[in-house]
Amino acid sequence: MSLELDKVTVTVHRATLLREVSLQVQPGECLGLIGPNGSGKSTLMRCMAGLHKPRSGAIRLRDRSLFAMTARARAQQIALVEQQADTTERLTVREAVELGRTPFLSPVRGWRAEDETRIEAALQAVEMTALVDRLWHTLSGGEQQRVHIARALAQAPKLLLLDEPTNHLDIRHQLALLKLIHDLPITRVIALHDLNQAMSCDRLALLDGGRLKAIGRPCEVLTEAIVRDSFGVAASRSIDPAGKHVLHFSHAV
Amino acid sequence: MNGAAALRGTWATVPLILGATILAGTAIGETRLPFLTVWNTLANHLWDAGHSVDRIDAGIVWSYRLPRAIVAAACGAGLALTGVVLQALLRNPLADPYLMGLSAGASTGAVLVTVAGFGAGAVSMSLGALAGAIAAFLAVVALAHAVQGGAGGGRGTQAAAAIILAGIAGSQMFNALTAFTIARSANAEQARGLMFWLMGNLSGVRWDDVAPCVAVTLIGTALCLWHRRGLDAFTFGADSAAALGVEVRKLRGLLITVTALMVGVLVSKVGAIGFVGLVVPHAMRFLVGTRHQRLVPASALAGAVFLVVADVIARIIVPGQVLPIGVITALVGAPAFALILIRGARR
Repeated sequence: MSLELDKVTVTVHRATLLREVSLQVQPGECLGLIGPNGSGKSTLMRCMAGLHKPRSGAIRLRDRSLFAMTARARAQQIALVEQQADTTERLTVREAVELGRTPFLSPVRGWRAEDETRIEAALQAVEMTALVDRLWHTLSGGEQQRVHIARALAQAPKLLLLDEPTNHLDIRHQLALLKLIHDLPITRVIALHDLNQAMSCDRLALLDGGRLKAIGRPCEVLTEAIVRDSFGVAASRSIDPAGKHVLHFSHAV
Repeated sequence: MNGAAALRGTWATVPLILGATILAGTAIGETRLPFLTVWNTLANHLWDAGHSVDRIDAGIVWSYRLPRAIVAAACGAGLALTGVVLQALLRNPLADPYLMGLSAGASTGAVLVTVAGFGAGAVSMSLGALAGAIAAFLAVVALAHAVQGGAGGGRGTQAAAAIILAGIAGSQMFNALTAFTIARSANAEQARGLMFWLMGNLSGVRWDDVAPCVAVTLIGTALCLWHRRGLDAFTFGADSAAALGVEVRKLRGLLITVTALMVGVLVSKVGAIGFVGLVVPHAMRFLVGTRHQRLVPASALAGAVFLVVADVIARIIVPGQVLPIGVITALVGAPAFALILIRGARR
């Protein structure tokens, strides 16, 4: 599944949120999206999911414009996990995950065995099989986020978009969730705040002020100079005993 | 998703319950008629059974109580559905045509047409009410957006509060317009009748009113059922629905237009009956869950039963006097509304 963005520009109420962003998501990769607050990460996510039409530029999914497709056809290929989507409805984990089959159902096409199989597989992938009958509002933040991912996986997407999925989670749940995401065998784009967590992505795209500042392997993008420039912090990079690059932040500049 | 057979079994009981309720609504009233009289009258009219029935009793049953019970059922079902749709699409547990001022807007539209002669006879009362309902919806939603921008608190409670605040402002505004129109243009006789109608009143209902009420309710039910999965997809908000393949703008536009249509037609026939759209869907969510496949038919049925029963109570609770039905629904609905507020605040 390749998604291609070509000079995507987004303006809302005369404010430019994205300026001529061009990039390609490659099949099977995990592309990390990083950048300071307000750099346009969420906007870019919404564009890639087809929720927001750019003012100019093109987004192509396998050489077809994303906005020439119906919402239904799009949802059969791309799934989105939003930041902390919540509900006041009293629904169970299973019911929440079942929503993921919406793009494949219609008023005349009912629930089939195949849908059931997808639900089971999605629940298993996030290790929530034991909690299927629990009510949504009794789950912890980490569990809720897992359910969202299961719902997205139930869509059987070719491309999974995750907007800061580890927000508001404690460190243990953050790491468990990231491991889960990294082990998924599909193309993923994930917006992240924690730069050291971003280090484990296949590639990183750095947004700053709505522009794409850099894109490439994590060790190329997250250099001390770029971190100082874009995030405004002094950092030093070292290699930990496991051989991974680690950033240490000292102060704001 | 399992138990399709069980679901079909439940479906079969719907016409039974509905029929029994309407029959009861026809039998009970200021003068109580035996079920046999009701049954014989219906049989005479429906398949020329030729039973001998007292002519006055037959007249009461056929020309007065039966259309009234059918309209009450249609209104109850329709108003409950408007609540289901608004609560799902606006992601707001307090969304309801009465609290949001749609009913007030419809009243204003209807009064403008009938009393002030707006549209010079070319526009019917229902059309006026429909226009009023749509105007009220647009005004209240625009106002809610403005309020939400400035208020504090979490996103969910903020949106719920904003709709209610905007609804209060909208209702007051439209009620004032209605009162103004009546004071300016109506004579004393008309004014008294209108005031009674505004509280929700089924006294004037005749066979002519049955077809439009039943038609909009059936159309509404069918459309909600057709789009049940779309309504489900709004569980985690509009963006989430869009990401699940729902054409959000189209579906919202369609279903809110249908809601306004239902409110417009029903209010023009029976006045602004409050709280049905709030109480019934919430009660049904507890009983059948949040899935619209079950919630839509269950709410329609429960709304129908609720309003027929409320109408019977309105007719017999004070001997020799008929209360506006809105009084009964408010007596049940206002405490339920308070309960939902308290529960919402605890979350």
